[in-house]
Amino acid sequence: MSATVVKGLDENGRRISSMEFETMVQAAAQKNNVLQIEAMGQHNLGIRLQHEDGLSISVSGPTGQRLGCMGMPGTVITCRGAASDDVGYLNIGAEITVLGDATNGVCNAMANGKVYIAGSIGARGLTMTKWNPDFEKPELWVLGSTGDSFAEFNCGGIAVVCGIDAKTPGNVLGYRPCVGMVGGTIYFRGATDDSYARNNARLAAPTDDQWKWLKENIPVYLVKISREELESSLLIRDEWQVLNTISPQERALLFSGPMPMAEFRNKHWNHAFGGGDPLRDLAPGLDRSPIESVPSGDMRRKKPFWANRESAAPCTYYCPVHIPTVDRLRLIREGKINEAYEMLLEFTPLPASVCGAVCPNLCMDNCSRQGVDTPIEVQVLGRAVGTAASPDVAPSIEKKVAIIGGGPAGINAAWQLAHAGIEAHIFEKDTFIGGKLAQVVPWERLSQAIWDQEIKRFLDTPNIHVNLGVELTQEIFNTLKNDFDYVIIAVGTHEPRKIPFPGHETVLPALDFLKKAKSPNPEKVGKEVVIIGAGNVGCDVACEAYRLGAEKVTLVDIQKPLAFGKEKEAAEALGAQFRWPVVTSKVTPDGLVMDNGDVIPAQTVIISIGDVPNLQFLPDSVETLTVGGAAWMKTNEAHLTTDAKVLAIGDVEKPGLATDALGAGKTAAEYIIAQFKDEEWKPFAKEVIPQQALTIAHYTPDNSPDSSQENSADRCLSCASCRDCHLCETICPEGAISRRDLDFSHGNGYKADHGITYEYVSDDNKCIACGFCVDTCPCGIWSMSPF
Amino acid sequence: MVSTRSLSIGPGSLSYTDLPWIIQHREDRCTLCGHCTAVCPKEAIYLAYRRQRMPKLDILSKKRNNEYRTFVGIRQKKNMENSCIGCSMCSMVCPNEAIEPVPNTNENRTLFFNNQKGEPAKRGGRRNEVGPTLLDRIMFNRISMLTDPALDAGRHEFHITTTLGRTLDPEVFLKRTRDGGWIPPTREIFPFVIGSMSFGALSPNMWLGLLQGVAYCNEVLGIPVVMCTGEGGCPPWVLKSPYLKYIILQIASGYFGWDEIIRAIPDMQCDPAAIEIKYGQGAKPGDGGLLMWFKVSQLIARLRGVPEGVDLPSPPVHQTLYSIEESVMKMIQTLSTAFGHKVPIYPKISASTSAKSVLNNLVRNPYAGGLLIDGIDGGTGAAYNVSMDATGHPIASNVRECYLDLVKQGKQNEIPIFAAGGIGKNGNVTQNGLALIMLGASGVHIGKYIMQAAAGCLGNEKNRCNVCNVGICPKGITSQNPKLYRRLDPDQVAERVAHIFMSISTEMKKIMAPLGRSQSLPVGMSDALGIADKDAADRLNIKYVC
Repeated sequence: MSATVVKGLDENGRRISSMEFETMVQAAAQKNNVLQIEAMGQHNLGIRLQHEDGLSISVSGPTGQRLGCMGMPGTVITCRGAASDDVGYLNIGAEITVLGDATNGVCNAMANGKVYIAGSIGARGLTMTKWNPDFEKPELWVLGSTGDSFAEFNCGGIAVVCGIDAKTPGNVLGYRPCVGMVGGTIYFRGATDDSYARNNARLAAPTDDQWKWLKENIPVYLVKISREELESSLLIRDEWQVLNTISPQERALLFSGPMPMAEFRNKHWNHAFGGGDPLRDLAPGLDRSPIESVPSGDMRRKKPFWANRESAAPCTYYCPVHIPTVDRLRLIREGKINEAYEMLLEFTPLPASVCGAVCPNLCMDNCSRQGVDTPIEVQVLGRAVGTAASPDVAPSIEKKVAIIGGGPAGINAAWQLAHAGIEAHIFEKDTFIGGKLAQVVPWERLSQAIWDQEIKRFLDTPNIHVNLGVELTQEIFNTLKNDFDYVIIAVGTHEPRKIPFPGHETVLPALDFLKKAKSPNPEKVGKEVVIIGAGNVGCDVACEAYRLGAEKVTLVDIQKPLAFGKEKEAAEALGAQFRWPVVTSKVTPDGLVMDNGDVIPAQTVIISIGDVPNLQFLPDSVETLTVGGAAWMKTNEAHLTTDAKVLAIGDVEKPGLATDALGAGKTAAEYIIAQFKDEEWKPFAKEVIPQQALTIAHYTPDNSPDSSQENSADRCLSCASCRDCHLCETICPEGAISRRDLDFSHGNGYKADHGITYEYVSDDNKCIACGFCVDTCPCGIWSMSPF
Repeated sequence: MVSTRSLSIGPGSLSYTDLPWIIQHREDRCTLCGHCTAVCPKEAIYLAYRRQRMPKLDILSKKRNNEYRTFVGIRQKKNMENSCIGCSMCSMVCPNEAIEPVPNTNENRTLFFNNQKGEPAKRGGRRNEVGPTLLDRIMFNRISMLTDPALDAGRHEFHITTTLGRTLDPEVFLKRTRDGGWIPPTREIFPFVIGSMSFGALSPNMWLGLLQGVAYCNEVLGIPVVMCTGEGGCPPWVLKSPYLKYIILQIASGYFGWDEIIRAIPDMQCDPAAIEIKYGQGAKPGDGGLLMWFKVSQLIARLRGVPEGVDLPSPPVHQTLYSIEESVMKMIQTLSTAFGHKVPIYPKISASTSAKSVLNNLVRNPYAGGLLIDGIDGGTGAAYNVSMDATGHPIASNVRECYLDLVKQGKQNEIPIFAAGGIGKNGNVTQNGLALIMLGASGVHIGKYIMQAAAGCLGNEKNRCNVCNVGICPKGITSQNPKLYRRLDPDQVAERVAHIFMSISTEMKKIMAPLGRSQSLPVGMSDALGIADKDAADRLNIKYVC
């Protein structure tokens, strides 16, 4: 059957419209599957055409745009000359041959079928193609060259560009082919400008399989375009190159840039600086290599230190003698009762009398246990040591020290010196030692039995020599200075202060009153007693006045009374009244007359506004300081006066507690001992541990703790002194902390400090400096510091 | 019974609900690994032991008593010095998602106590103003679709560089070319410049990481990115490297590191990209630079030629400059001469109502290569809060005004204006940058965005972190302590820089293509801009759209 001819011009030679022409072609295709179209620029030739036996369409004359548009499988279209734009547009299976050139857009969006071009093509060929895996990939064959932007967004199309008689022989694939290409393969032969999209395509030689495919299909193509003579020149494998698609999987593996950063650093960056770190001249040896955010070892910003006993517990710090109550309680916890007693006696010869009785216990005032419940009862602990034996004294070092005054200051100085093997000679004016503790503190507050016991222990101690009834003069003082290595002035204050208001001569000084009151034959007092000066001594006076027959005692002061603590409580319990502000204008037999004329009736008026030292015996080499009209000893931190052989301690420096006097005595003795031993003397210099450093939540409050030593020892928070509880070892998340025994065997490294024979250590290689040890430690031992 | 000691409350006492950031810790998830407390830059958190009283109130029994339970948890400190800054490093290192800081929604009373010891509060970072910026709100809405050639960002080619340096009037250019006269130097650079952050403000790993990324962008990706040194000098090996051409050297009133720069001039393999003369900074105009002593390490001191551990202010005024004419002329001429008139020289000023005067002065100065204006939303390494919060001028209207002034004089193609200050503050870096470009800037400088995007800077506008000034940067970006800055891997910074600029260049095309622009940066193309704010539209002379 011969072909049906469909003509693009009507009988009048006028062009038939594309719309009408398509109807004519459809009608022809119903009848015959061989068509011959004589086109006159009609568009979309071949659209909607399919025939069960296949269709063969030959096109001659000028074709319009989109030849073979939406071509169906089984349709074969051969264009006898050149074709216009978009040949094979959306082709889904037709075979289209153009026996000349084709313009732009060849194979745009083609999904299946083959397009054979016998010449070259224009721009944007093989763009946006598709590949349905149920069908073969679409193919485009070009004998010459392609225009620009070839194979953009190519998805499945296979192109073969042969480079024969190319329109652009210097660049057979045009400018920037393969942009956005995600599938398909471009075979080509001839020169290019190398502008293909590097992120989408990779240039390679054909693989064996690819070459096999080419070898099989080139002859087929040449037959289609009737150029069989080219076969031998096209079948030279070396002349072919392939642009393969970079698969999504391959792309995912690429660094988004084309070169890994490490490679850039090694190959380029380092070379730019002469082959090394660009900071090596400014900071030789600087290591800038990356580290973890939570490192161990040297890259931690801080590290923990086990600062055992480097700070002072509040009890120790606030005690004027710096008695380490924490250590005493630790020894008790460890069952070392005797050592605990002995340690206390190393600090004071009067623990039961002072700690246990007269001291206001600054240790308890500041006790950290108050953060949990109530302070440790130090008085109980002090009294427990009343009967303990004195520690042994050291062998004599053939030195002797004179101590003028046998009050608490002189007593502790003598005690400390005696234990260091130094002869201590006390020269006391009175007939007994103890100073004001013995002379004026009422026996109600300081039991005579305890006092006598402790004084006996003191007097029985070797190296202590007491001379009573010595009235000091400048001559005696100078003799002592010559005969002894050091002289310590501890004469206290025994000159009562007075105010010269009218009638003052009838007023009793408190000091004289109290001394007499404590003597075997005390003086009687009137029924009504007024005491001028409402301090703690005034309270003692009030108590004694009641004991000696007073019925009403009034304490007056020009300011708010300074009395506090046990003394004030005792006076108030007996009924003493406090009045202030009261300014005394005179004292008459009726009583005390105030400046406003009011009279406080009294038969006895006692003045208690303090005492001052009597320093008549001092030579000129020892300077004094005048404060409040009286001369006081001028001393330094070590209680040394301006004379290098003379020290002064106690109230003679400035009025204070008995405990202050004990502390001064100890410090002065330590200074002298250091001089004898030619050692450097160091004052107590520890800082008090801050309350926040302790972790008190580990302790359970106890409403009414029993005050036994053992219970106190358990209740003690052991501030600044490790209680060996292992909590740090337990909480450490890295297992860095361990406890180890200290090694004393070599005798050169450690020295046991108050019997501490262990330490806790943190392994730098494990520790991450989280600070949990610090936050957990009940005693505040661990601290974190930058390093 | 409970504790017999009560807590003392003073005027400055704070509770959790007064702090700007509140640590939420879940004891039921915590494994007590210690990582959070180890990493916290402020030592704000600690392992807390708490005792709880559990009374047994048995009315009929004699067993009435109190029992106590001790429990542990991570708690925050309530003092100013250690108050949480919300950096979230604790959350980042927590293996169990047990801890996080949350912003306090109550009023933050620490604001009333941040002036300890008479010293007003300082911070690093930003202005702390949340919400979309004006730049964020600008839309590009003149779209080329069928009306004129549509462009495809993915497949068309774009020229997206900008010119840094003076472009001569064509007639003058031809005449000078013919007569062999001086043609002012220009550079074709990527319009997003890494703004001036000094070696010192930034850690060595950050600064060199940025430079490595810039070098990569240029040499591997072909994106001509440049960065400005800031005023802290430049390591000598860098000055003598081929990468100097990607560097804008800054000179300012502190003159830090300039001795090393001058010493290196004979050994330079190439010229620097440009010289920036800093007169002002947008974040703290009129207040000068400041490197606090915490950050003046041995290395920084060595490079800057100063003692270690001292505060380094660069005063707001140069000692040798007196009037605007004289300042600009003297500085530009000296520096132009120093590099043989082959390097563009331009000043950087704070955005201000006086910016136009400076610009007009530059127009008349044949050696001036441009003007950089830095707006109030710019960041800084250290400044007084009051300077950062209250002083300055937003960038958009300032740049617009200056550009329109150039247009009036017909000079808009001759002297480029660069803009800085808050570009990319909320992440929209390309949109912000191109909005400014279309308002008239030839390019923009970005600082905070780079720190956030390239190195993971934790700062945000809710005053999160913002401790750059004291050298405790938990990411190692602004610290001079190797224990901190070694947390930052320069390779990773460089890689992020590459990613950022690849992405900005794509986004630029995505903005430019719909506008039908591909062959030149749309500088001043304000017909493409619109904003749903009538006042802003009027002020900027762009379309009001709604």
